[in-house]
Amino acid sequence: MDKVLKLRNLKVVFPSGHGIIRAVEGVDLDIHQGESVALVGESGCGKSVTSQSVMKLIESPPAMTRVDTIEFLGNDIKDYSAKQMQDIRGKDISMIFQDAMTSLNPVMTCGKQIDEMYIRHQGVSKKEAREYTIEALKLVGVPEPRSRAKNFPHELSGGMRQRVLLAMAFACMPKLIIADEPTTALDVTIQAQVLNLLRSMQKRHEMSLLLVTHDLSVVSNLADTVYVMYSGKIVEKAPVKALFQAPHHPYTVGLLASVPKLSDTEKTFSQIPGTVPHPMKKPSGCYFHPRCKFATDKCKNTMPPLTTLSENREVRCYYPLNLKKEATA
Amino acid sequence: MKKSYVIKRILYSIFVFGIVMTLNFFIPRIGVEDPAERYYPPQGNMSDIEYEIIKQVTRQQYGFDVSTWQQYLNYLTGLMEGNLGTSFRSGSPAVTDLIVDRLPWTLVLSVSTLLIGLIAGILFGVIAAMKRGRWQDTTLLNASTIMVALPGFFIALILSFYLGFEFEIFPAYTDPNMVSNFDWSLSAIQTVAENAALPVLSMAVGSIIGYAQGTRNAVIAVTNEDFILTAKAKGLKQNTIRYKHTLRNSMLPIVTSLGMSISGLIGGQVVIEQIFNWNGMGTLFLEANNMNDYPLMMGIMLLLSGFTILAILITDLIYVLLDPRVTVGDKR
Repeated sequence: MDKVLKLRNLKVVFPSGHGIIRAVEGVDLDIHQGESVALVGESGCGKSVTSQSVMKLIESPPAMTRVDTIEFLGNDIKDYSAKQMQDIRGKDISMIFQDAMTSLNPVMTCGKQIDEMYIRHQGVSKKEAREYTIEALKLVGVPEPRSRAKNFPHELSGGMRQRVLLAMAFACMPKLIIADEPTTALDVTIQAQVLNLLRSMQKRHEMSLLLVTHDLSVVSNLADTVYVMYSGKIVEKAPVKALFQAPHHPYTVGLLASVPKLSDTEKTFSQIPGTVPHPMKKPSGCYFHPRCKFATDKCKNTMPPLTTLSENREVRCYYPLNLKKEATA
Repeated sequence: MKKSYVIKRILYSIFVFGIVMTLNFFIPRIGVEDPAERYYPPQGNMSDIEYEIIKQVTRQQYGFDVSTWQQYLNYLTGLMEGNLGTSFRSGSPAVTDLIVDRLPWTLVLSVSTLLIGLIAGILFGVIAAMKRGRWQDTTLLNASTIMVALPGFFIALILSFYLGFEFEIFPAYTDPNMVSNFDWSLSAIQTVAENAALPVLSMAVGSIIGYAQGTRNAVIAVTNEDFILTAKAKGLKQNTIRYKHTLRNSMLPIVTSLGMSISGLIGGQVVIEQIFNWNGMGTLFLEANNMNDYPLMMGIMLLLSGFTILAILITDLIYVLLDPRVTVGDKR
C-alpha cells in the first residue's frame, strides 16, 4: 500500500501568559491509501491540533509548530508556502468538522459554499459549479438537492447540514479526508447514517481517512488502525481488532472499560480515576502514572518510550497489559 | 415569508410613530401652566383685565382656546398637511418653514461626518484586525481609549484654536453670510466646504475611531468562528475568505450602530454647532428651548422621533438582506 501521509515528530506548543502549553509532543502518524486511521483520546489530549497540523491550519503565531516530516503523497509539504498549502487544502486533503451549524457560514447558502470548492480548485464557472454541487448533494443523499442548495444552513436539519459538509469535503475527491468528531453533534440515528455514508464514500473512492474522535463505537465501526493519544503523546498504536481484544496500555484498558454496555447490570459506570493532567502542569515520568494503578517508581521518574511489540503494535508503557491474551487470540 | 416580514415591520413602525405623535402632543401639556402666560409673561404696568384680554387673544392666535381633544384633532389634521404649528417667535413663522430652512445645513455636517466616519472607520478597523497586536492595532486601541476620555467639544475647541486661529487653515467661525449668500455657484459651495471643515473634522475624529473599533472587534470575533476555519480548510484564497466570509458577517454590528446614529444626523450637534456658530438644527433646538418656544420644540422632537423610527426600519430591512436568519422568528 502506498503511504498517503507520513508525519514524523510533530510538536505544537502554545505560549500563554502563564506558561507554555505543550499540546502535541512528538507525534508520528502513518496513513496508507484507502486506510482509515482513528486518533482517539479525551478532550484536550491534542488530537484536534494534530489533525489540523496535517493541513497546516494551526495559526502561527500564537502556536509554534516543529515537525521533522509531513510527507503527503511522497512530497514533503513541511516547508510549503501558504499559497502552495491553499492549493492542497480542499483539493487533496479536506476536512469534515464537528459542528455543522457553526462550521457553515450562516449568511451564505449551502450551495454557494460548496460551489466555492469547484470554482477554486477546478476553475469552473459559477453555473457549472452549481451543477457539480447538485450532483455532490445527490451523492450524499440530500433529497431535492436543487432547492436545498438554495437554503441557508439554519434552514436545514442537523443531519442535512452534516451532509452538506460531507458533500463539501468530497467535492474534489481528495486523497485524504480528516474528520474531526464528525458525528458528535448528531442524534444517534443520524450518526449511523452519516458514518455509513462516510465509509461507503471512502471505500468506493479509495480515499484515506483520518478520524479524530473520542467515541469508541465510531472507532470500532470505521477504523482500520487506531492511535490512542494521551496528554499530547501517542500511548498506543494498534490495528482496531487487536486493540479492542487486547489493549496493552493501562489508559486504553480504562478507556475501553468506561464504554457503557447494554449488557451491564451494574448501576455505576466504570471510570478512570483522576483527571487529565493540566497541559501546563504535566507530571514527571509517564504522564499517566498518577491515574495508573500499576505505576511504579520507574514510571514516576522516566517517560517510557514508544516500543514496538509486534508488527503494527506499539505501546508507551513499561508494563504492558494483556500480552498473553493477544498471543492466544 | 420575507414579504410578510417587511410588511409587518412597516406596520409596526407606523404604529410606533402614532404613539410617539400622541406622546409628543400630550407631554408638553402635562403640568404646564397656561401656554399664553409662557408666551406673554405678565408685565408690571398692565391691569388684570388688560392682561386677560391679551392672553385671550394669544390663545385664539395659537389655537389654545378650544378643548385639549379638539387641539389634538387640529394637531393631527395639521400634521397631515405637513403643518407642525406656529412658532412663538416674533413674526409667528411656521415651524415647518423654520425646520426646512435649517435642516439642509445640519445635513451638510452630519452626512459628511457619517460618510467619512464610516468609510475611514471600516478601513482602519479592518487594517487593525488584520494586523492584530501590531502597531496599527495598538494605535487604534490607544486612540479609542483617549477618545473615551475626550469630549467632542474639547476636540472641537482644540481644532478651532490650532487650525482656526493659530494657523488659520480653516475658518474658526462660520461666515454669518454663508447661508444668505448661498446660490449653488461653485464659489458658494467652496465657502460651505471651507466653513464646514472644522465642525466636520471635530465630529469625524470620534466617529472614525468609534466605527474602527467596532469593525475591528467584529472582524476579530468573526475570524475566530468555526466557519472561517472551514473556509481555510477548503483552500480558499485569503482574499476570498476575507471579503466573502469574514467581512460580510462582521458588518452586522456595524449596521446596527449605523441605524442608531441616524437620529443624530437630523438632530444636529448642539455643542459643535455652537462652537463654530453653525446655524443648524442643534442651534434651532437651543433657541426654541431658551425661548420656551414649545411648538417649535415639539416640531423638532417629532421630526427626530420620526427619523429614528425610519432609521430603525431601514436597519431592520438591511439586516434581512445581510443576514437570512433574521426572518426565522417570523415563520412561527
